[in-house]
Amino acid sequence: MSTEQEEIGNLTQLLQEQFPGAVQSYHQHRGDETVLVERSQILPICQFLRDDERSKMEMMIDLTAVDYIKESPRFEVVYHFKSLSLEHRIRVKVRVPEEDCEIDSIHELWLAVDWYERECYDMYGIIFKNHPNLQRILMYSQFEGYPLRKDYPIGRQQPLVEMRPVNERHDYGEL
Amino acid sequence: MGLITEKLPKMMAGMPGSDIIFTRMDAVINWARANSLWPLTFGTSCCAIEMMMAPGASRHDLARFGAEVARPSPRQADMLILAGTIVKRMAPRLRTLYEQMPEPRYVIATGACTISGGPFIYHSYSTVRGADTIIPVDVYVPGCPPRPEGLLYGLLTLQKMIRSGETVREPGIRHKPVTSETPEGITIEDIKSEMLALLEKDAVVDVRKAAEQMERPTGI
Ligand code: SF4
Repeated sequence: MSTEQEEIGNLTQLLQEQFPGAVQSYHQHRGDETVLVERSQILPICQFLRDDERSKMEMMIDLTAVDYIKESPRFEVVYHFKSLSLEHRIRVKVRVPEEDCEIDSIHELWLAVDWYERECYDMYGIIFKNHPNLQRILMYSQFEGYPLRKDYPIGRQQPLVEMRPVNERHDYGEL
Repeated sequence: MGLITEKLPKMMAGMPGSDIIFTRMDAVINWARANSLWPLTFGTSCCAIEMMMAPGASRHDLARFGAEVARPSPRQADMLILAGTIVKRMAPRLRTLYEQMPEPRYVIATGACTISGGPFIYHSYSTVRGADTIIPVDVYVPGCPPRPEGLLYGLLTLQKMIRSGETVREPGIRHKPVTSETPEGITIEDIKSEMLALLEKDAVVDVRKAAEQMERPTGI
């Protein structure tokens, strides 16, 4: 990784010039650039990536999170953007600590982001500030906890309706 | 059906008094019920695709057994083919659908998922472990997904069940015509308790400890 770190990609360089100090680390693999950025800067950085002539990211491809349970800050929110006109892409990562599990929503920039952020909130419990409708999207609202967090008890069942008792399940009357 | 409505009248026409036939009322009712099972349009995942593409389409053709009219409303359906994984969020809706169907109603569970939770029985926060925890099931068709022949066999089994079971005097009774064999010396209770023990064992995992032993993936 060290040799890769020396070659700095065009987009990374652009970001470093535009937001001095915001890019914490970066690497690139076969022309695929990844930057780890400051949490407070995510909204201006995304705005810049979308609007600047040299980056022109028209498309928000993916937004998800990773739970690194051993580390601090614990969570990592990952954004993927693609430029259709310039044909390049970038992966932006942001670390989010467990105690203060919040990040700015970027739903104003790409409408598609709305449901991704809801899913991310649903599965990891990361709060997206200023999101218009931050509710669970896959799980039901009665669900407690965040299932894709590594410390969610793996066998815990939270049924919505009462289960039928075992001896009733195979009742066929008189044989 | 064609035999009865087209050939029988001609055959009987020559006999004196042939416009009246005697039979048991239960036999007629059950015969009619068994041969006009209208399934509810209900499918939740991969088994549903299999159900539509294989037995529902022309080659294997569910219509040969009078079960092709899939109804979009539970009020008009009398058979529920459970095809696909049932998740906990779906469970209340499924029970409502079942309760909305008029009696007598029949349920076929196809695929490992609806029988026991299938591939998702361990470590799943969202999957229901078997559809029979939600609603009563008459016929189980194993497979992942089952072969079309399997589903057709399940349907024929259900028809057999309907014909041999319920009477007007004893509504709601269904006899189970086929019971699968268990190996000698093993009872259903043994299998159930072993299954529960396995589930319990897997349910307790110390994730923090597991994470300690895990290597950090490469990348930043
Ligand atoms: S039993 Fe297999 S094919 Fe059927 S729904 Fe489950 S996973 Fe899919």
